[in-house]
Amino acid sequence: MDVSEILAAQAEKQKSTAVEREIPLEADTGLLTVTDLNPTDPESYNEGLEAYLQSNARDGVQALLNALFALPSTQSPDGPVAKLLPPITQLPRAKPLPKPKPLTKWEKFAKEKGISHRKKEKAVWDEEKQEWINRWGWKGKNKEFEEQWLTEVPTNADIDHDPSKIAKAERRIRVAKNERHMTQNIARAQGESTVAGPSSREQRKNEINRTLATSRVSTASMGRFDKVLEGEKKLKGVKRKFEPAEVPVEREKAANLALIQKMEKEPRQKKVKKAAGDDILNVRKAIRATSRGKGSVALAKSSGGGKAKALDRHK
Amino acid sequence: MLRTVKPKNARSKRALEARGPKEVEDPRTVIFVKGTQTGERLNVIMQELMALKRPYSISFSKKNLIRPFEDHSSLEFWALKNDASMFVVGQNSKKRPDNLIFARIFDNRLLDMCEVGVENFVSMKELKTPKSTPGHKPLMHFSSELFDSHPRYAQLKTMLMDMFNGQVIDSICLSGLEHVISVTVAPTPPDLNLVSSTSFPRVHVRTYTFKMLSSGVKTPRAELTPMGPHFDLVLKRDREADEDMMKAALKRPKIAKKDVENGLGKKRKNFEVDEMGDLRGRVHVGRQSLDKLQRKKVKALRGNDDERAHKRAKA
Repeated sequence: MDVSEILAAQAEKQKSTAVEREIPLEADTGLLTVTDLNPTDPESYNEGLEAYLQSNARDGVQALLNALFALPSTQSPDGPVAKLLPPITQLPRAKPLPKPKPLTKWEKFAKEKGISHRKKEKAVWDEEKQEWINRWGWKGKNKEFEEQWLTEVPTNADIDHDPSKIAKAERRIRVAKNERHMTQNIARAQGESTVAGPSSREQRKNEINRTLATSRVSTASMGRFDKVLEGEKKLKGVKRKFEPAEVPVEREKAANLALIQKMEKEPRQKKVKKAAGDDILNVRKAIRATSRGKGSVALAKSSGGGKAKALDRHK
Repeated sequence: MLRTVKPKNARSKRALEARGPKEVEDPRTVIFVKGTQTGERLNVIMQELMALKRPYSISFSKKNLIRPFEDHSSLEFWALKNDASMFVVGQNSKKRPDNLIFARIFDNRLLDMCEVGVENFVSMKELKTPKSTPGHKPLMHFSSELFDSHPRYAQLKTMLMDMFNGQVIDSICLSGLEHVISVTVAPTPPDLNLVSSTSFPRVHVRTYTFKMLSSGVKTPRAELTPMGPHFDLVLKRDREADEDMMKAALKRPKIAKKDVENGLGKKRKNFEVDEMGDLRGRVHVGRQSLDKLQRKKVKALRGNDDERAHKRAKA
């Protein structure tokens, strides 16, 4: 049996999809892009531009399709879905990478101890009601004791014993505690992000102390006859500091030399404000006097107008 | 800079989060801005580029007094306001007829710009051929050695890729591929260097729809039909990206362990898919040490009998 014909036909079919180039085309399937690094052929380019561009593009598309159809794919009602490779070409991002969320105190602790987090479902199955109910929130499970119609009361209970009220108060405390922890976590995260400088808490403390000290001496007697509150500390002033009587010779010498240098230096003259001109007339003052304080614009107007009127009179 | 907003309700929080930095980014939204003068032709050019980019495009249809190479503050402002990260600014003047400026934004600041003049424009409407479906992802084809060797052309390539194909996707339906944007550079003149702007060879941008014909093998054979718009680009001014900014923009997210095991982001060594589509792996077992080789214990090799008898007597 001669199969050479069949083989030839198969080879012909293969040929129709093959793209042969000096430098093989680079297909970046992740970005659906193909790059042909072969230099443009000037002869065929000049011969027929559009035909050349189209045949060149066809080869590129064929190479990219070859690469795409070689990828592992799954079937879908619309056709095969190819799983693409990660992109090769590095394109710049539009926005910087997201910053990792700071860990809460518990998360940090759990990480150190290697405690793995078990995620709680938000809803739990209620056997009595035979339905899923939320752990918290609207019609939540945590309000069960507040809302049940019958509650056991201990024999020695007070007369105004209200179990639902107690349960509600307890829940409120839990909520408040959670909120407090949340704010503390946020504050901690902010504190960590601003490493340089004193923490905001320390800063606030200093500020408050300063305000308090100012307000204490802000009475008519500068705080002398004020009522001292319980636990109030004595106001500390600024202590004077003196140089020690005996100093090393080098330092004394340096200080004296600095003093002598200072004395030798001629006193620096302050910038003398230059007058409007070198002449004796103070223009600004003169204008003010002649215009009777109305300024130079008014003076110019009145003098100009005056002239015009004078001319009219002459006619 | 706008003030930092703290969301007051869940909806605005979601909206803010959608605008925030993400690990896997959305495609770039492109704003098409008209300069003070845009002729009829440039308007059509921008319209058709926008048609290719739809639905991730915004049109600024009023005139804007803007010169991005002199002052790019308004681009940054618009980027922030519209959550866009790319611009195409059209401007027609005697000196630079039918001018387009492509500008990329990173972190609401200008990253780089590239100015091109459009020539030999053929509209989509002039070619009475089938068009691609809006919203379908195009294939891209780049053909010239300059896209690898010349920084200006490399920039143009990433700019166009970012515009039309920047989104990272993990899979695609192969039957949905229907058009290609082909970018070919004219033959390289022998005296082309890195700086001169007079002798840059032209860039031919063509768009084709393609049909996938059965070829007898798995990969179909592609056949192209011109779709339009067709135009040639002439490189003009450009503004290169700041080195530090580019470095920040090219940062990749750390890939999760699960994805690494799946083969994402890294080349998997010693894995290959054979012709049958089976995944085959190779394992390196290390050098074998012959000293520690456990052979079958043979009586003849156990030493002489006297020694053994001596040992037995001791025990």
